[in-house]
Order: sequence, then C-alpha cells, then structure tokens
Amino acid sequence: MTVATTTGGQPGGALERAGSGGSNLADVVETVLDKGIVIDAQVSVAVVGIQLLEINARIVIASVETYLRFAEAVDRLSIVPEDQKGLPDLLEDASGAVTKGKAVGGLGKAAKEISGAVVDSLTDRGSERERPRQRRDEER
Amino acid sequence: MSDQNVQGTGETGLFIYGIVPSDVEPTPDAQGVGDPPGDVDVVRHGELAALVSEVALEEPVGRPADLTAYEALLDGTAAVAPVLPVRFGTVVTGPDAVQDLLEAHHDRFAAALDEFENRVQYTVHGRFDEQEVLSEILAADRRAADLAEQVRGRPEAETREQRIRFGEMISQAVELRREAANSELVEALTPYAVLNAPRAPSHEMDAVNVAFLVEADGEEDFVRELEDFAEQRRDLIRMRILGPLAPYDFVSAHQLVE
Repeated sequence: MTVATTTGGQPGGALERAGSGGSNLADVVETVLDKGIVIDAQVSVAVVGIQLLEINARIVIASVETYLRFAEAVDRLSIVPEDQKGLPDLLEDASGAVTKGKAVGGLGKAAKEISGAVVDSLTDRGSERERPRQRRDEER
Repeated sequence: MSDQNVQGTGETGLFIYGIVPSDVEPTPDAQGVGDPPGDVDVVRHGELAALVSEVALEEPVGRPADLTAYEALLDGTAAVAPVLPVRFGTVVTGPDAVQDLLEAHHDRFAAALDEFENRVQYTVHGRFDEQEVLSEILAADRRAADLAEQVRGRPEAETREQRIRFGEMISQAVELRREAANSELVEALTPYAVLNAPRAPSHEMDAVNVAFLVEADGEEDFVRELEDFAEQRRDLIRMRILGPLAPYDFVSAHQLVE
C-alpha cells in the first residue's frame, strides 16, 4: 500500500489531501467499516445473511509487541534526549525541503507508517484489481 | 432503469448502499459490488429511495473492489445529494423488502436526510512522526530517558523486562499526547464544523482521528484552518484530510435498534 497521491493543498503544505471515493484501500477500510445504518433484524424486512469476507482492520493499540517495538525504535534513535536537533533531525529537515513529507524523510519508516497493519489482511486479495472509476449520481 | 429491473430470486439479493431522497437517479455507469459489478438501481417509496444493486447470494462480498465501489458510490452521491450510508454488507431479499424498510422508517429517514442536506463529512487523520515524538517524550521524562539508556544497544534477551517497561511508558505518553492533540484539533475546527465525531485510533502512532460534518459552503474555511493546524505541527504530526465523504460517522444517531 502506498501513500495516496497528494491531490490538493498548498505546495509544500503540511496537510495531505486524500480526496474521496476510496483512493486508497486502507482509507476505504477505515472509513466505511462498522459505519452506516444498521437495519439488521428489522420487522418485516427480509435481511439476507450474506457471506462477508472477514475484514480484520482492528489493531491492538497496546501490546507487548508494541512495547518492544518502541524499544527497538529507541535503538535507532541516535539523538540524545538533551540534544533535540541531532543528526536525524537535520537530515529530515534537509530532505523535507524536497520531499515535503516526513514519511519519506524518516529513517526507512515510510512503509510502516502507512497503516500497514490495517490492510495486511486485504492486500493479498486482488488489490491490484482495476479500481472502478468514481461515479456520481446526477444532479437532482 | 426502473424498479422492475431488480428481482429477488432464489439466487440473488439486493445489496443496499444508502438511502437518498426519491429524486436521486443513479448515472447509467454507476457500478456496485460484485464480480462483475452490479448495476446500481433505485427502489423508491414516498420521498425516499434506496440505492441498491443485485448480488449473487453464493458470492461472498467484501473484496477490496467491493469496499471501494461501495465508498465511491456513496461519496459520489454525497457530493450532489444527502445520503444515509447503510452498513456495508446489508442485503435483503428484493425490492419489496426495501420498500418495507423505507415505509417503516420513512419519517425518520426523511428527517435525517434533511439534516445532511448540503453537508459532507471530512475525516481528519494524523500520525505522529515516531522519531520526533520519541525524542519529545525522552526529553520530557527523565525515567523514560534512563530506561532508554539501559536498553539501547543491548540485546533484547538481556533487557526484555526494561524494554517492556519502557514501551509501556512510551505507549502511555503517546496516548496522553493523542488525547491532547485530538482536543486541540476539535477546538480549532469546532467553529468551522456542524458536528464532530471522534474516531478510534487505528495505529499506535495515531495522533488525531476525528470526523467532521461540514457545511458545503464552509469547506474552504474548514480546510484553511486545518492547514494552519497542520503547519504548526508539521514536524511532529503528518496530517491528512479525507473527503468530501458521505456522513459515515454521523448516522449512528439514526441507527435502528429494536
């Protein structure tokens, strides 16, 4: 999964615009899952039990794995606490000027940052399929 | 396209995307879930209509393309008309069942649609830069910094206990910063939004995750304010805005629980 293309905002701006209509699968899953009106078990409405593929988008926020990962992250963190502007910061500042994004300027963290956990369960299921073009209902 | 085109047979059902005012008409190229994608149709009742498409019941739904089609249809609709998203995966036997549903809750749905007239959702999502937030926390918390010194460069097997303690400390510190960032975001954008709805964090480095319901003619101001917010935190938080979207996070008040 890659970062959704920046489609708007000021050049070099700090805000990335991802648009609508499901440009990025991780965004789609997060946006629509478990949302919307529930009309299950309505009187006189014949709801069909359809087989839904399991969509596992929930991640555990606090776990031992997470804790250990933070410790690994601090291993990579080469600056000392008292010195806020260490080498990594300077490197990031420099690259930030051309990449306008921390994701690229970071220490190889870009892939991790894009909610890999959210889409892991989905990316192996035909995510390369051509996306339907965005459609709109006509003006009323 | 007419209601007669959709039939509930033994093998198919009607997938319901959302509820709209009855004068909404899908474009001929509107495609729904399924493989091949189903044609999107409407079932009308009174002032209401439901966006539906036929699905084969033996075919499981929930592939990436299905989710994308569902969202694209609802977001595209929300751009031109109010829409109440119906939870993904809702399938009924046929047009009669859809009409029963619309009839049973006609006034409630109609009132909800009025509420969403000329309003769209934007979801604001931000991630902490891990290195940056770690540096901040270590600078602010002597105990965390000491623990970091103990584990840094030493094998995990030797320092597992300290690592877990350190990670827990960081996790709690991130949580506090997340709460603060969400509060700041809501405070900054409240004047520019009709409603807001906090969203659960989806990642351990989540900084903010909030849905806002915004008036169509207030979108520019909303985005400008958000750009300022993002600019002020650009080293610490990577900010993104998704939208305009259908009001996924604002229909819960209209959920129909028996």
